[in-house]
This record gives sequence, structure tokens and C-alpha cells, in this order.
Amino acid sequence: MLRQEINELLTKTGPGTEMGDMFRQYWIPALLSEELPENDCPQVRVKILSERMIAFRDSQGRYGLIDEFCAHRGVSLWFGRNEDNGLRCAYHGWKYDVTGQCVEVPSEASNSRFCANVKLKSYPLVKVGDILWTYMGDPAKTPPLPEYEFALVPPSQTFTSKRLQESNWLQALEGGIDSSHVSFLHSSGLQSDPLFMGAEGNKYNLGDYKPYFEVADAPGGLFIGARRNAEEDSYYWRITPWLMPSFTMVPPRGDHPMHGHFWIPIDDENCWVYTFDYQPVRDLTEAERQAMKDGYGVHSENIPGTYLPVRNKSNDYLMDREAQKRGETFSGVAGIAIQDASLQESMGPIVDRTKERLATTDAGIIKARAKLRKAALALRDEGKIPEGVDPAHHRVRSAAVVLPRNQSFIESVSDKLRAQPGVRQASV
Amino acid sequence: MPVWSGPGTAAHASSAAELRYRMNYPLAPSRGVRVVALDSGAEAVVRQVSKSGWNKARFYVAETNLNTQGIQGAPVEVVLHGFDGAVASLNDELEDVDSTIMVATSDFGSEAAATIGAACSVRGIMTAGLVLGEDTENTVSALRPYAQVLLVPADDADLEAILTAMRAK
Repeated sequence: MLRQEINELLTKTGPGTEMGDMFRQYWIPALLSEELPENDCPQVRVKILSERMIAFRDSQGRYGLIDEFCAHRGVSLWFGRNEDNGLRCAYHGWKYDVTGQCVEVPSEASNSRFCANVKLKSYPLVKVGDILWTYMGDPAKTPPLPEYEFALVPPSQTFTSKRLQESNWLQALEGGIDSSHVSFLHSSGLQSDPLFMGAEGNKYNLGDYKPYFEVADAPGGLFIGARRNAEEDSYYWRITPWLMPSFTMVPPRGDHPMHGHFWIPIDDENCWVYTFDYQPVRDLTEAERQAMKDGYGVHSENIPGTYLPVRNKSNDYLMDREAQKRGETFSGVAGIAIQDASLQESMGPIVDRTKERLATTDAGIIKARAKLRKAALALRDEGKIPEGVDPAHHRVRSAAVVLPRNQSFIESVSDKLRAQPGVRQASV
Repeated sequence: MPVWSGPGTAAHASSAAELRYRMNYPLAPSRGVRVVALDSGAEAVVRQVSKSGWNKARFYVAETNLNTQGIQGAPVEVVLHGFDGAVASLNDELEDVDSTIMVATSDFGSEAAATIGAACSVRGIMTAGLVLGEDTENTVSALRPYAQVLLVPADDADLEAILTAMRAK
């Protein structure tokens, strides 16, 4: 269980909240770069950390992320016109550049200085990899740009998707650092999903339902090692890195791509799940890329033209009890991403953690919450910059390895948990 | 893909409005948690946490003696010293227990960990290990075979957080 005041501290991310201030220390995904595909393309509504904004790409290719509402009468700029290096309100023609500066008020005299004093709040928006990142904190403390490996490898080696999850960000994140559910909820996917099947490690996953865990503190977050029996003299380790506040990587399988997630709060009851797959040393194959687009692996099949999953709570996730009975899925819901989402959304928008009954095997979740709380309070009380802001912390990898029984992942594979350009992932 | 015949029930059932209809009753606390300091460094931390008023957790320091009873898998016998001066036997203290947490700052208590681990294994009691301090490698090696969960390194607050999460209050 968690005390209610701590649950609220960890789950609320709007302006002025402790965890909201935490998120505002980091560069975080604001939208996919495909959402603003060309200069002067249609602007996009963006809501993150309970703030409503408009993202647009101007005539020179500059990205802007500004307050959604015109300073004049509060009209949404989503109805505006993206033209000639600015976003023009459809109501009275006020125009803003990518910094939110008003550059034109047509009703004023042509030599008026009126607009110089009108500026919408804005945040930087920068493309790194397939993602447009924003930093919503104090401009004077803007950290260096993110250096997550999936965002730095060539475009031919990486793929990122996005989906809406109708739950608070924290219960989604906690699913990402809870390795023991894989052997149950996702058991069928290990045998049938084109982005998972065939890996040697799968048999160990399915052969040992009682993993041992080692939760190792690390710069920026945690490494959570789940240990299962492999052969008589060896263990199969799956090692999940978590970086504060909401980045995780899933341990890889065989030669399949590596993957992971960001959980970004939209508001306190919804979040965006950014999901990436990449290969550190080779291009993704056409088949792999197509499988990701089709919603296999950790991606979701979305309603075309949207980031809303086809299987969602309004249609009971297309629950298929017959497939469940036939053993094709464990829960009756198809697809690994939506299997997770369906259960995490079923908890309610913000799960009541005062009613939990955690066990020792939930130590990773307990430790992650403790680290988040400690960092949020240190930021609030001492102004201490949290771990995970430093790009050096971003250069992590997950790993799946078989080790002799007398070795641990911490001592044996620490080099494999670092992103190393040109070096293949450690995977079984 | 199955055909959706609607209307879906999940959207309604998982709404914020429906949360208030979840049955509201006191959840049972943990049956019992035992926290054992395996060395003097761990003793100070365990002693401090023990002062927080836990209804379902008991706190001890392990003392090891020769295994005169020939218990299988147990290199030593473990006697548990409570912070109130009471002495208890390991076997007695593992009655009606869900979890045992071993806390260590060194590999000094490796034999005690082996005995506690064996006793818990026989009884189906989950074991966790908290490794305190900076130099953790030997301590981790000592605890690994006997702890189903290890926190490395743990800090003083982790023990309290775990006990709270397990409803040991």
C-alpha cells in the first residue's frame, strides 16, 4: 500500500505539483515528428502535463509549441492558419511565431507597436530521432538534448509509435518495470508474435513462473534483474532499466529489435505511450517494420489517422473469450500493448494505492516510487536537479543473458547495459 | 478479429465515477513479517525502523551457533535477539509469517542467511534481502542464494517503504 498523500504526490503532474515540477526538469516527448511532416503543415493540438498547447512547423521548418489559445479572445489556434512563418488566429487574424510572440495584429495601425507586448507562453520543440521533444521547465536550466540510443541511431534502424492510454501515467509505468507478469499475461505472445517468437530465452520465460529479482540502484534510476532457471548450471536474466521519470526498456529476445517506452502524462487520468523498437547495429527489416506498424510486439494497432488503439475500453478491447479458451491469449485480449493497457485502465483513472497488497516481488515498483518521491521532494525543498536529466544517464540498454549460477548481472554484464554504438545488444 | 457487438462495459466500469462503488472494507494486514539484521551495521538501521510501531512486523538481530541439531541446509543454528532483550528461536518466529527480510552490510551473516533461507524455503515463506552500504559485491553474493528479492544497494528508507507496502502496520 501507499499512503494517499504519497499517491497524490506521485500521480499529479499539473503545473505547481511536485511531480509536475519533476517532469518539467526533463526533455520529454511532445509528439511524433510524423505529426508535423512538412513546413506549413496543419498544426496539432498537444496536451501534456495538464497544459494545452498547439504545435506547428513554420515556413522555414522551425518547430513551435505554444499556448493553444489566442491572447485576444481565447480562441483555439487549432482553427487558425499556418502560413508565412506563423500561426494566424482564424477569428481576427492575430499571428504568432514559433516562440509565441505575436507578430501581427491586423486591426492595429500598420506602425503600431501593440503586438510587441503580446506573447503566448511557449516551450522549445526539438526533433531528435522520430520524436519532437519539449522542455517545459525554467529556460535558464534547460538541460542538454536527450541521448537515448533509439533516438540517435540512423532512421533505418529505428521505429517509434504512439498510443493513448486512459490511465494515470504511474500505473502504466509500473507495468513496465514489473517483469513477473510476462509469464502470464503475455505468455501466448512469446510463442506467436513475430517480434518475439523463436528466441531461445522464451523457453526459460515460460518454464519458470517464479522469478527471483535483484533491484540495483543506478545513475538515473534502476536496473531490475529478473532471474529464472535456465540450464542446470545457469540462470536466465532479463534486465530492465528504468530511468526517471518514465523511461523503460524491455529486455530483448534473440535477434529481435530492442524496445521500450516513455509514459508521458497528458493529464492526471490519461497518458501517451511512446513505444520504440531499434537495432543498434543493423537496419530493421521490412518485415519487422511492417509488424510494428501492424501493432505486433509492444506496439498497438491504432485507428487509422489517430493514435487511439483499435482495441480500447469503449469496445471492451475486442475481448475474445473463445481465443482465451483456445489458449491463444491468456486474458482474451490480443496484442501485448493492449493486454497491458486493458488491465492498467481497469484499475480506474488513478488507482487507489491505499488498497494495494504488495509482495516482496514488487520490490522494483516499491523502490521506483521511493526514488521518485525522494527526487520530487529534493527538487521542491532543495532545488536539486533529479537523476535522469543528465544525458549520460540516457545511454542505457536492456539485456537478456544466460549466466553461470554463481554470477550476477550487476557484476557480469554492466558493460552490456550501456549503449555502445556499433555493438550488438546482449540477447538470448 | 472478433466483431464488436457493443455496448462495451469496460469504459463505464473503469470510469472515475465507478471508483466510488468499489467495495470498501478494511484489507487484512500482512500475516506477519520478520526483519533480521545479519550484522552490526544492519542492526542500527533495523533498530531505527523497528521504532515506527509495526503491528505485523517483528525485528531481530541474528546470532549464530553451531548446528548441533543437524538441520539440513543450515550451516549454523540461528538465535534471534529482539530489541527489547527477548530471545527467540528461529523456528518459533517463522510461524504465521508471509515474508522474512534479511538486512546486511557485509557477508558476515552469510551462514545465518543460509539457515534463515532454508527455514523459510521449507515453510513457503518469501525472502527478501536488503544490502546496505557502498561495497555490496560480497554481501550480494552471500545473500543471493537465499533471497528471492534483493535490493542493491538499499537505503535506510527502503525497509520502511517495503514494510508499508506489504501492510505490516
